[in-house]
Amino acid sequence: MTEPTSPNVTAGGRVQLARPKEPYIPPREWIRDNLFSTPFNSILTVLFTALVFVMTRGMLGFIFGHDRRWEAPATNLRFLMTQAYPDEQYIRVWFTFGWILALAGLSLAAWNAAPRVGYRNLARKAASVGVAVALIGLVAPAMSTSGRLQYVLIGAIPMAAGIIALKILDNHDTRDMSAFVVQVLVVAGIILSLWTVPYGQHTFVDGAARVDSGTVAQSTKLPLTIMLLVIIAAFYVGRTIRPHFKQLKAVLGGIWLLSPFILTTLVLRDPAFDSGHLLSTDIPIGLAFALGGGAILWLLSSAKAGETGRIAAAIILVLAFASFLTPMRMIVRIDALMLAGAALSSATFAGSREARLRFVGGWMGAIVIVNWLVTATNTPSTVFGLPTGTFYGGGLTLTLIITSFTLIFAFPLGVTMALARTSKMPIFRVMSTAYIETIRGIPLITVFIFFAIMLPLLLPDGMEVAKIPAIVIGYVLFSSAYLAENVRGGLQSIGRGQHEAAEALGLTTAQKTLMITLPQALRVSIPPLVGQAIGTFKESSLVLIVGLFDLLFIARNVIPNTSGFLGAQREPLMVASFIYWAGSYSMSKASQRVERKLGLGER
Amino acid sequence: MTDTVKQHRDLSNAKDMIVCQGVNKWYGDFQALSDITATVKETEVVVVLGPSGSGKSTWIRCVNRLEHHQSGNIIVDGVELTNDVRNIEKIRSEVGMVFQQFNLFPHLTVLDNITLAPKWVRKLPKAEAEEKAMELLEIVGIPEQADKYPGQMSGGQQQRVAIARALAMEPRIMLFDEPTSALDPEMIKEVLDVMKGLARSGMTMMVVTHEMGFAREVADRIIFMEDGEIVEVGTPEHFFTDPEEDRTKLFLSQIL
Amino acid sequence: MTASQTEHPATTRPPLWRDAVVVKWVAQVFTLVVVVGVLIFLVTQAKTSLNDNGIRTGFDFIKTNPGFQLAEGIDTSPATGGRALYVGMVNMFRITFVGIIFATMLGVLVGLGRLSGNWMVEKVSTVFVETIRNVPLLVQIIFYDAVITQLAPVEFGVGPISGWFMVTQKGVSMPRIFAADGFYQWAVVVLVGAVVARFVYRHEVDRRDETGQDTKPGFKAMGTIVAFGLLGLLIHPLFGFLGPIFGGIARVIGAIPPGAVQLALIALAATAVVIWIRRFWASFDGPSGRAKLTDDDWFRIVFAGIGGLLVAAVVVLWPGLSAWIVHSTHDFFRFLETKFEFGNWSRPLDGMRPGVIKPDRFTSFSPNGLTMSRAFAAVFLGVVLYTASFIAEIIRGGILAVPKGQLEAADAVGLTKGQKLRHIVLPQAFRVILPPMGNQYLNLAKNTTLAIAVGYSDLVQVGQTLYNQSGRTIEVMAIWMLFYLSVSLGLSSIVNFWNVRLKLVER
Repeated sequence: MTEPTSPNVTAGGRVQLARPKEPYIPPREWIRDNLFSTPFNSILTVLFTALVFVMTRGMLGFIFGHDRRWEAPATNLRFLMTQAYPDEQYIRVWFTFGWILALAGLSLAAWNAAPRVGYRNLARKAASVGVAVALIGLVAPAMSTSGRLQYVLIGAIPMAAGIIALKILDNHDTRDMSAFVVQVLVVAGIILSLWTVPYGQHTFVDGAARVDSGTVAQSTKLPLTIMLLVIIAAFYVGRTIRPHFKQLKAVLGGIWLLSPFILTTLVLRDPAFDSGHLLSTDIPIGLAFALGGGAILWLLSSAKAGETGRIAAAIILVLAFASFLTPMRMIVRIDALMLAGAALSSATFAGSREARLRFVGGWMGAIVIVNWLVTATNTPSTVFGLPTGTFYGGGLTLTLIITSFTLIFAFPLGVTMALARTSKMPIFRVMSTAYIETIRGIPLITVFIFFAIMLPLLLPDGMEVAKIPAIVIGYVLFSSAYLAENVRGGLQSIGRGQHEAAEALGLTTAQKTLMITLPQALRVSIPPLVGQAIGTFKESSLVLIVGLFDLLFIARNVIPNTSGFLGAQREPLMVASFIYWAGSYSMSKASQRVERKLGLGER
Repeated sequence: MTDTVKQHRDLSNAKDMIVCQGVNKWYGDFQALSDITATVKETEVVVVLGPSGSGKSTWIRCVNRLEHHQSGNIIVDGVELTNDVRNIEKIRSEVGMVFQQFNLFPHLTVLDNITLAPKWVRKLPKAEAEEKAMELLEIVGIPEQADKYPGQMSGGQQQRVAIARALAMEPRIMLFDEPTSALDPEMIKEVLDVMKGLARSGMTMMVVTHEMGFAREVADRIIFMEDGEIVEVGTPEHFFTDPEEDRTKLFLSQIL
Repeated sequence: MTASQTEHPATTRPPLWRDAVVVKWVAQVFTLVVVVGVLIFLVTQAKTSLNDNGIRTGFDFIKTNPGFQLAEGIDTSPATGGRALYVGMVNMFRITFVGIIFATMLGVLVGLGRLSGNWMVEKVSTVFVETIRNVPLLVQIIFYDAVITQLAPVEFGVGPISGWFMVTQKGVSMPRIFAADGFYQWAVVVLVGAVVARFVYRHEVDRRDETGQDTKPGFKAMGTIVAFGLLGLLIHPLFGFLGPIFGGIARVIGAIPPGAVQLALIALAATAVVIWIRRFWASFDGPSGRAKLTDDDWFRIVFAGIGGLLVAAVVVLWPGLSAWIVHSTHDFFRFLETKFEFGNWSRPLDGMRPGVIKPDRFTSFSPNGLTMSRAFAAVFLGVVLYTASFIAEIIRGGILAVPKGQLEAADAVGLTKGQKLRHIVLPQAFRVILPPMGNQYLNLAKNTTLAIAVGYSDLVQVGQTLYNQSGRTIEVMAIWMLFYLSVSLGLSSIVNFWNVRLKLVER
């Protein structure tokens, strides 16, 4: 797994420092120093060991208890993941999953993000996993002797392998491998075991529990194996093209950003969706504004536009406002307003050919996103469903959809609010401060209830909003206030000198903000922003209270009500907890790694 | 051999580049500038001296409108500094400024630092801006550093990049706000050499500095300020050998 | 100065539409108008929608019988909707208050544990933090609720310690200590004791500074308070005379017409604005004459005036606010009066053991004990563990933030370990810890709203039941927002107060 280039230099040309070698301490000394250094410490050690023992035993007793019904979450795994997505269309879900994995593999390769694990460290980890597994067998209450023996034997294999490896490798062995490979190997092992172990033996036919070929293992072993191959293939493709493809990171970032839109609209949507209205009305309007507006902006952003350009922009603004007085589709009015805004700012972005192209491209992107949004929330049978209609996909899928859309839209709003709050203009500052502090003062749950119940009432006639987009809008407004505070911290860390230098060069306020202030502020705010992303993921569970079928809702309210598993609440809840935990924990670990990497680069 | 050609130039017929008339500025109760009246001619090099807190930095920053004066007029290259949106942008692209703390943009490479404003303010095509930037880096003597980040360079190199960045806008006036004060002694010379070269090329310059050698060698005129007022104006010979005001004498005795 | 200004031409002004200051203010006012316009539009839209759907609006539900009972609280069958909401608020404060106390204790312990040199303690703390804070709070609350539901039912002799500490599927019951009739008089004695203790503390500190001996001021001050507490057990009826005084105050306040309060509030707002403008104005006066006000400054003054007018308008148009201020203050003093009845000689504190009763077909905990209901226990466990895991990280970060050089310096001057902690580490760590700690308390207060998921009768749960019954969604939501906003503002101003104080001490 060594890199073609020198392993110590990452893609950014930054040098990673080699970790200093740990000095060897004999176990006896280590135990004395770390566990029994003083009488007080000895007491603590004994107490805490007892505590750990009791807790572990209790936990294991719970997990392996005879009355545990783990088959409840196992059989209903599909419910947890996607709710009742139509069986015959399930290929769409797998496609979505594969898409995300492929992107993940490519990104891991492009950013060279996977950490590296030393061989000795790996051996140590293997040994401790083995010990842990063996201990489970020894400690767990209420387990048959043969069961205990199984665990001990299974644990003995990695334990022995680890210890032998440690003996063979000398103390100063510095070889390492990518953690990605290790993870893939572990996951591959689990997936391969699906081919032999029939997990989730229960399935329901006509309301009766039966053991048959439709077990979780049977129905997922092939797709999961393909998924494994997809991510491995993507990783290697990424590694191969990385040296030849300079914009790889930018392109991947763009695809990541667009994925939620593409996947929810094109892949996960209602399979029987009628696209007549879409083709006859929505797409033509969007296209007209994207192309016509693009042409206007192309002209306005010419360096020669000058005074005429400003007058033209003002005329567009007046026309846009006038559109509110005439009967017209709301989307046309919104698009016209956006065009006016872009026209007013076109002088700022005017410049060379490529600058103008980028400006017009940005305009088209914005118009596509806004039109998509309005269409998606307003049209029956997109993934978001109708106020009364069915929703295609729930469970973890819904949790992720809510999280990703919230993050995508809260980001620009939050940044705007942070800019307004740090601006020198008092009314902007007061308005954004009032907004941020009000939102931060009220609990999320009241926001959700408000938007679930009230938002439909606030809209004018002819505009509808389904429950999921309503909740997402509320969540966006809520998150943006917190995000604004995080970004504000970054903005405040930028010295006055940076502003002055930018002003002295003649950059306009917009240019200064976009090119000088924000890039620096956002870099500083990465750790709190990741923390907030984790929070957004976790707190999306609150949609349970307004009755959306997210992961937690399925685990708490749906599975315990399925026939055969009545009242089995704790088992699916534990599975849901584990899913949330795994997501949050891995994100926070990854962010700590990024933080260390950035900290190293800044020096 | 020092270049003393400029000291005997007759600039009386040259165009006025910076005209200040009765400029006043307060920070709350504190009057930072009182009744500043002075003129800088085209191609003239004016060095502003004075103890710290004497308002010389404030003045130079008012000329670039980083600070707003509260009364009086400042006319730069025939354009008066007012709240007029258009004039501010115009002036700033005509006037280059170099700061004490360099103020390079840490998230951009040296090349991007220099080409940013030409691309977005002067609307130059990317290739042209980069070509120009490389020429300027050549002039300030560090072409090989183009792809580095500011954080990877020494202070002297950073200040030279800052000069190149200001020059990339092809300004008609350059303002220097204590450009060598934050530098280690061994790096001061490399920056001063660049500034001397610039002065020789005929750039109009207004320099706030504590480098007396530079002032004596390059300045056409020296303005001495204290407590927000202009105390004395004169040629370097006159100023260093035969100052009129007592305050000037005191200042010179303290630093020389 | 004026002379020199007349010598030169005055600064020329650009045309209005190109003046940067004017353009900025026009943009701001324009945005403000648009935002306010959109808000007004939404509100009118909501009104028409509600009318179209035949939904009545108004706050009359506060005065009428809500028609439902609450699971727990100071009043489980409230007579009016307002009373029901009030019970919900009290329930929210109950769980917030105990939650903050326990979360802080646990969090500090775990945070110190993470810094412990003991490997076992450090690992246990780390696993606790990394597990708890990465699982959503709602999931935890629901899980604890599910676990408690599966516990043993309430029965006579249920354990773990029957008659003292009982854990069942209906919650936890334990002995209760409560304020008896004599409590308020006794509290006055303790209050006096606290004042005396402050003097003792000052005095002992002065003596220490003079003589250099360790006079143990903190210890003596605590001793004073304890002594007064014990003394108070014997003499507290003496303070019964305060009752009529409070009664008198209550009557005086009750006699104030709401109009006077309105006038006072308007006067207050006007004074605040005038003082602000005068200060702002004065900041331009210097020894060297008047500085010129920029357009920006003029706009500021105008907007300060408009702000004052707005406050006045609210006060005039909403007389209920002033009436409420009068009534609640009056009620507060009336309440105090009843608590200070002359000659009331009873214990200030009393205790009771929990028990199990079977009044009808169902067994339940007797009301004697301090009983945590199932829902309360689930929410309590959830918020305490969850918040503690964040507090632990804050404590750890705060202590790690003390630079190593500080500890070395302390060692160099020969401070003992305790002195080092007391005088060097804690004061510095505290400054780092306090602001995020305040945020955590705020989060805890807001997180108690998740109680709705397990049916604990907090404000949100009561409110939801209320609007389901009466259909007054907007009104209930307005009450929610006002309540939580004021709780947040209150908590954050307390934290800010301490923050500012600590910073001042620092200088």
